[in-house]
Amino acid sequence: MSELEDRAARRAERLVRCYSPTWSQRYGEEFAELLAADMLERPRDWRRVLDVLRCGALSRFTAAGLAGEIADPMAQARAALVSFGVALAAFVPFGLAMWSQLTIGWQWSEPSVPVTGLAVVVMSVAVAVLALIAVLAAAPIVWVFLRRIVGRQQRGLLLPAALFSVGLTLLVLGGRHFGNGWPGTGGHPWAHQGLVPGGVAAFTWATTLGVTSYWAHPAALLAFPPAEVAWMGASPLAMVAVVVGAVQTVRRLDCSARVLRHEARVARLAGAAMAAFLVAAAAWVVDGGPGPRNLFHAGSIDVLGLVVMGSALAVGLRALHRVRPRRLDRAPG
Amino acid sequence: MVPPPGRPADAAKDEALAGFGRYAGPATFILSSLAGGEKHGYALTKDIEAFAGVRLPPGTLYEALARLEGQGLIEAVPSEDRRKPYRLTALGATVLRRQLDAQLKVANLGLRRLSGTWGVA
Repeated sequence: MSELEDRAARRAERLVRCYSPTWSQRYGEEFAELLAADMLERPRDWRRVLDVLRCGALSRFTAAGLAGEIADPMAQARAALVSFGVALAAFVPFGLAMWSQLTIGWQWSEPSVPVTGLAVVVMSVAVAVLALIAVLAAAPIVWVFLRRIVGRQQRGLLLPAALFSVGLTLLVLGGRHFGNGWPGTGGHPWAHQGLVPGGVAAFTWATTLGVTSYWAHPAALLAFPPAEVAWMGASPLAMVAVVVGAVQTVRRLDCSARVLRHEARVARLAGAAMAAFLVAAAAWVVDGGPGPRNLFHAGSIDVLGLVVMGSALAVGLRALHRVRPRRLDRAPG
Repeated sequence: MVPPPGRPADAAKDEALAGFGRYAGPATFILSSLAGGEKHGYALTKDIEAFAGVRLPPGTLYEALARLEGQGLIEAVPSEDRRKPYRLTALGATVLRRQLDAQLKVANLGLRRLSGTWGVA
């Protein structure tokens, strides 16, 4: 092989990495051959690179159940539901960070603007519904997981399950630790005058401490105790561990069509709760006002939160649309 | 023809016969090229360039190939070579026939109208 051919082959291999692993496994080798031949004929062609980037992105979206069609309806539903779960996971930290700030503010003083009061109530109901949905969604998954473990079919499951458990344990322990000392923790005199139990608000605030605009103000950030700054950096990593562990576990569980249908129904409910939360949050940011003692002031992080939550909801709804319940109904089980 | 795993043959056939949608151009070129015999990716590119004057970029070509294979209109020919040849299936031949008939109908109508109204032969 000449140096030119060798270089083209290496460039082709790099471009194939734009595609999803499933696609690459099936077509990667022959596609790299075609790309290398094309490169030798037309060494510099930016349209070829753009074409590969576009098609590679499409293959990844298809693998994630967000575009195209996977031949197996079960695989299509599983991929789309996992994508919905990832979108929900992006939505939740920003939503909870916003909601916990507002509910902690309520413990100091009720909001004076009706829009803020109504928004916090709607957001609180949506959070409660999402928590219930999380239990309903997790129950059959946990059941299938336990059956696999009892049946000694745990291959490939233990590592992601351990990652999920470690991340969750870190979040719970850190949330409990850093939630102490704020209004809402048991001993504080204002612990029980808010809209939601103070402990819940403080715990949620502590677990989402990393969602803050202080990252853009390093000087102010360094004024915090080092342990708190460390937790602000560690808690998002713990969340990522929870999401990656959960996604990998669900992908490897091979759930039945019945479980997938249940998850699809629950996901549609979650989509509705996310939409209600987002509308309420947007109403507060746009029309809420700072309220007494600036307790309900909407900052730049809240605007960013709206953008992230809006994008996550759009992706989530797209994924729900592609679950294809009719195709799933025809699947056995 | 063996349908792809998890997809009933009838469903694939119905979908394929319903049309190619926005993949109509590359799909028709590829099927027409394979109607002349099995070819691998590079040979397809050169053949299509020769008979249609269109050079399909590699990404677009393989996007269409994967879709056509998923619909059961083409199939990979077992080969030891890194370049995998593809061939038309019986369903692919039927679908191509319908597609070309429809295009021919439009072409004939357009030519007749051009000739009648504009005098272009």
